[in-house]
Amino acid sequence: MVNTLTPTTTERAHSPGSAGLAVDGRSRTRRRQVVVAYLFLAPTLLFFAVFLILPLGFALLLSMSRWAGFDLGDIDPVGLDNFTDLFADGSTFLAPILTNTLLFALGTVALALAGSVLVATCIDNLRFQGLWRTLYFLPIVTTVVAVGNVWKYMYEPGGLVNGVLNALGLGSVAFLQDPDTALPSVVVVQAWASVGSAILILTAGLKSIPESYYEAAALDGAGPVAVLWKITLPLLRPSLLFVCITQFLTGLQSFALIIVMTKGGPGDATNVAALEMYRQAFSYGNWGIASAAAFVLFVVVLAVTLMQLWIFRRKGEDA
Amino acid sequence: MNRRRFPLLSYLLVVTGAVLTVVPFLDMVMTSFKGPGESGTLPYRFLPQAFDLSNYRAAIDQLDLPVLFRNSVVATAVITGSVLLTSSLAGYALAKLRFPGRNFIFRLVLSTMMFPPFLFFIPHFLILVHWPLAGGNDLFGRGGAGLTVSMAALAMPFLVNGFGIFLTRQFVLSIPDEVLEAARIDGAGEFAVWWRIVVPQTKPVVVTLGLLTFVDAWNEYIWALLVSTANPDVMTLPVGIQLLQDYVDPTRTMPIVMAGLVLSILPVLILFLLLQKYYIRGVMLSGLK
Repeated sequence: MVNTLTPTTTERAHSPGSAGLAVDGRSRTRRRQVVVAYLFLAPTLLFFAVFLILPLGFALLLSMSRWAGFDLGDIDPVGLDNFTDLFADGSTFLAPILTNTLLFALGTVALALAGSVLVATCIDNLRFQGLWRTLYFLPIVTTVVAVGNVWKYMYEPGGLVNGVLNALGLGSVAFLQDPDTALPSVVVVQAWASVGSAILILTAGLKSIPESYYEAAALDGAGPVAVLWKITLPLLRPSLLFVCITQFLTGLQSFALIIVMTKGGPGDATNVAALEMYRQAFSYGNWGIASAAAFVLFVVVLAVTLMQLWIFRRKGEDA
Repeated sequence: MNRRRFPLLSYLLVVTGAVLTVVPFLDMVMTSFKGPGESGTLPYRFLPQAFDLSNYRAAIDQLDLPVLFRNSVVATAVITGSVLLTSSLAGYALAKLRFPGRNFIFRLVLSTMMFPPFLFFIPHFLILVHWPLAGGNDLFGRGGAGLTVSMAALAMPFLVNGFGIFLTRQFVLSIPDEVLEAARIDGAGEFAVWWRIVVPQTKPVVVTLGLLTFVDAWNEYIWALLVSTANPDVMTLPVGIQLLQDYVDPTRTMPIVMAGLVLSILPVLILFLLLQKYYIRGVMLSGLK
């Protein structure tokens, strides 16, 4: 801080007199910082204006309008009609679409959580931890098009999964074509793809559990199940909760995998809210309905996000 | 140690899980070497009978892979470069410069992370369609196709990243003020301070953020699909490969699709294996935002 009192040579040259020179130099530096700061922030602020604030307003306007999608002058405000249409009798939005969205998110969380808890606690016992984590991480760095297509192919009658079932003497299953199995089949893939990052966060949580707890448990002769139940899981609760909520949020918003694997079918068996929004807009040109659907999903996502913030803020105060 | 008491059971579980994770990738690679009539038929065979490299040739030709590759590379490079540059500039300003509105702008940056991407697909597309004076549009964005028919559309919605700014800011905060002041006394302007001190000091976060951005941009599908529908010339790798998959008989062309997929995931895979330490740190940091 002392240094700001010393003006640079250039500033001294511009100063009118020696009296008040230090103060003058400092305010000049400060003014220059303001200009520079806004210059540095200009690209970001411009971007936020055009690609964040303007779109949010636009989306809100569209959600309360009917519009054919050509001339901006033809946007026809209809109030909350789009929202009432979404929830009207006979609309497929609440069931099956929104129900599917929740089932998809819940199913993914349940599977990914079970898998990652098992693997993360086991990896903690092993050597070559880095190697294992790298393997489990592969799906995360892979494009959804690759993941979706490989699994779609594996689910085919002549694919790997049915190949294994046949080898075990079981009949083939039309995983993605049967309305009863289609959604669970996609859920498995989404969980498969997200186990890696869950393992990573749980491992970080496991590392922070003091070794002495395990030593004490060993002295008391606790078995592996008791150790997992009484020590590991309770102390891992913040990490578990975190994985749960973030995976749930991701699940609510996912639809790229579904586009790749089933396009929402058969029927609406795997249709979810984000996909419905996408199709209403870009396949049918119903911009208003699509935007309304987006906002309904956004409210659900926001509620979960706020709940997460609230839980973790409370945790922070407890600590 | 005491934690390592049941290695056998643990090995069994971890290896089973690892096999379940890796098998789809192996199936992809194996299928990419299968000859005509060898895939999608019963009984299922995991290994190809003869390692047929012609699928890779076919993928490169049929998909016009060099063009798809170029589009993916350009979009990814522009996005990654822009995110790194804007994150560093904004992160420095928010961490170390004093100016009115600083708190407000920082809160704005934080709030951008709350908005889910799906909310923006429609308005972003419409904004690009009605971009003034582009693609045959007049000053009010009417009449033409706007920016949707240009390569710029692939990158534009991703040029700035709130999380990137936040991450860089947290990192810049740890640079001591004295170091910056010393440079200013030596006559360095703010731009020189940023370039000569802040950028070198934040190298680890630049690598992490760069890698995260690269992988996301390379793998991006939905937005690229929208833009490519308006203009097939800017099609990226994921979109092109998916398109081939959609239009052809799965028993005949599946090996070609798989060959294309193998080629399309190789760049990220290699980069990830080389720099996984940085990538994993990025995922942990972005998980904890």
